[in-house]
Amino acid sequence: MFEQQLVNGFTLGLIYALIAVGYTMVYGVIELINFAHGEIYMLGAFLTLSFISTGMPLALAVVLAMLAVAAIGVLLDVIAYRPLREAPRLAALITAIGMSIFLQNLAMIIWGSRPLPFPRQALPAFFNEPAFTFSDVTISWMQVIIYVVALLLMVALNLIITKTRIGTAMRALAQNRTAAALMGINVNRVISFTFAIGSGMGAVAGVMVSMYYNTMYPTMGYLAGVKAFAAAVLGGIGSVPGAMLGGVVLGIAETLGAGYISSPYRDGVAYAVMILVIIFRPSGFLGRSMVEKA
Amino acid sequence: MRGALNTLKYLIAAAALAYPLMPFRDVYVLHVLVLIMVYMVLAMGLNILPGFCGLLDLGFVGFYGIGAYTAGLLTIHYNMSFWLIVPLAALNGAFFGIMLGVPTLRLVGDYFAIVTFGFSELVVLFLTNEIWLTRGPLGVPGIAPVDINFTWLASLLGIDGRWRYAFRGEVPYYYLGMFMVLFVYILMRRLEDSRLGRAWLAIREDSMAAASCGVNLLVYKVIAFAVSAGIGAMAGSFFARWTLFISPDMFKFWESFLVLCMVVLGGLGNINGALVGAVILIALGEVLRVALPRLGLPAETRFLAYGLIMVLIMRYRPGGIFTQVAASTMQSGLIKELRAKLAARRTA
Repeated sequence: MFEQQLVNGFTLGLIYALIAVGYTMVYGVIELINFAHGEIYMLGAFLTLSFISTGMPLALAVVLAMLAVAAIGVLLDVIAYRPLREAPRLAALITAIGMSIFLQNLAMIIWGSRPLPFPRQALPAFFNEPAFTFSDVTISWMQVIIYVVALLLMVALNLIITKTRIGTAMRALAQNRTAAALMGINVNRVISFTFAIGSGMGAVAGVMVSMYYNTMYPTMGYLAGVKAFAAAVLGGIGSVPGAMLGGVVLGIAETLGAGYISSPYRDGVAYAVMILVIIFRPSGFLGRSMVEKA
Repeated sequence: MRGALNTLKYLIAAAALAYPLMPFRDVYVLHVLVLIMVYMVLAMGLNILPGFCGLLDLGFVGFYGIGAYTAGLLTIHYNMSFWLIVPLAALNGAFFGIMLGVPTLRLVGDYFAIVTFGFSELVVLFLTNEIWLTRGPLGVPGIAPVDINFTWLASLLGIDGRWRYAFRGEVPYYYLGMFMVLFVYILMRRLEDSRLGRAWLAIREDSMAAASCGVNLLVYKVIAFAVSAGIGAMAGSFFARWTLFISPDMFKFWESFLVLCMVVLGGLGNINGALVGAVILIALGEVLRVALPRLGLPAETRFLAYGLIMVLIMRYRPGGIFTQVAASTMQSGLIKELRAKLAARRTA
C-alpha cells in the first residue's frame, strides 16, 4: 500500500514538476507570478482534445497542442505583461489574475463548463494495463509513459538552459535584466522564449493529467496551478532543478497526506507545505537566498 | 471647483439617504446598493495592507469568511444579539489576523502574498470539511435577521410591552449598511492622520528608512493586519445577518481578487478610491449580468468581460483612478519630514 502510494505520488509529482518549471522560469526572468499559467495547462488538455476529434493521431495532436499553447503563452506576455514591465508590480499581478479569469471563461464558452472525458479510442489499448508488477505494487503503461515523457522533457530543458546561447541569455536575465540588456541580449526575445518553453511543458502536463484521470474541465487549471506554484516555491523559486524536485516532493507528500492523514485535506497539504516552507526556508530547497530588492 | 465638488457630495449623500423612501425605489437596486456597501467596507479594510503599508494581501476573503461564519454560527446556536456579534466577529477576525500575521509579516513582496493566499484557501477547506461545525458544503441556512430590542429600556422606564424590531426587506439593512460604511470611513480617516497611520505610510514608502527612524516594523505591521482582518470580519458578520445564508463557496479566492481590484482601481492607499472602486466594480458586474444575455451572449462572457476589463484598466491606468502622489516624491518628502523631526528631538 505504502509503496503503491509512493508510485502514484511520484507520477503526480512529475506532472506538477512540468507545470512548476513554467512558473519558476517566468518568475526567474520577470519576477511575476504568472497566475494564468494554470489556464495554459488547461488549454493544453482541451486543444489536444479538439485536435484528436479531427481524427489526428494522439502524438501529433499533443505536439500541435504544445506548439499552439506555446504561441498562446508568448501572446499572453506580449499583449498583457510586456506593456507593464515598468509599471508597479501589483498592476502586473492583477493583470495575470485577470488573464487567468479571462482564459478560464473563454474555455467554458468554447468547450462548455462540464467535465469532458479523454477520448479513449485515441489511446492505445495497452495504456491501462500494468507494465510492471512487484508483489503488491503495479505500474501501468500510462505511468511509464508519463515518467518517460516528463523525464525526457526535463533533460531537454536542462540542456537548453545550460548548453545553448539562449539558455545562457535566460540565466543572464534572471541575474540582472538591465545588465543583460547592456550586454546586447534582446531581452524581449528571451522572455518570449521563456514563456514559449514554460507554456509548452505546461500543455504536455495538461494532456497527461487528463489522460491519467480521464477527465478535463475548464477550471482544472486553478488548483493544479496553485500546487505547481507551491512546488516551485518549495524547490526555490527561480531554480529549474528546484521546481522539478519540489514537484516530486509535493506530489508524494500530497498522496501520502491523503492516504495517512486526511483525504478531504488532500489539497490542504500543498498549501500547508507551501506556507511552512515560505516561513521557515523562504529560499526553498535549491533556491538562492532572496534579499529584498531595492 | 472645490465648492462645486462639495455640493455634489452633499447632493449624493442626500439622494442616497432619501432613495429607499421614494415611491420609485426598486428592491433589486436596493439589494445591489447594500451589496456595494458590504464591498465598500471590505475595500476600506483591505486598503490598510496594500494601500497604507505596502503589503500585498491575497487572502483577505479568509477573514471575511471567518467573520460571516462566526456571526452565522453564534446566531444559530446562541441566538445572540447582532450588536454583540459584530464586535465578537471582528475580534475573532483580528485574532486570526494576528495568528497569521506574526509568523508571516517578516516576509516581503510576493512571498507574503502567496502565504496569505494559502491561508484563505485553507479557510475554505476548513469550512467545507469540518461538517460538525459548519455543515460543510451545505452551508448555514436560517440565520436570524438583525433585530433591535429595546425591551430592556421599556422595563427600565417601567413601561409595559416588547419594543422589538426585526429587520425585514432591504430598507433597514440599507441604513444599517450606510451606518457601517460611515463608521469604517471615519475610522480610516482618523487612522490615516494618526501616529499609527504615519508609521504605516513610512513602512510602505521605505521600510528600511522607517526602521532606522525607530518604527518597530513588526508591531506596526501586526496592528495593520489585525485592524484589516477585524474590518473584513465585521463586513462578514453584516453579510451573514443580511443574506441569512452562508456557504463556503461564497468565500473563495475570487472575492479576494475582486476586493483587491476595487482597491487598486480606486488608487492604492486612497480611502475615497476604495469606495469608488467598490461602486464601479459591483455596478459593472450587475450591468454585465443584465446586458450580456440581452445581446444573446452566454453567462460566462460576464466573467470573461470582467477579466478583460481589469487587464485593460491595469494597462492604461496602473496607478488607479485616484493615483497617489508619485512614490518617489512622496518618499523624499516623508524622509525629509522624519529627518526634521529627528533633528528637532535632538536639539530639544
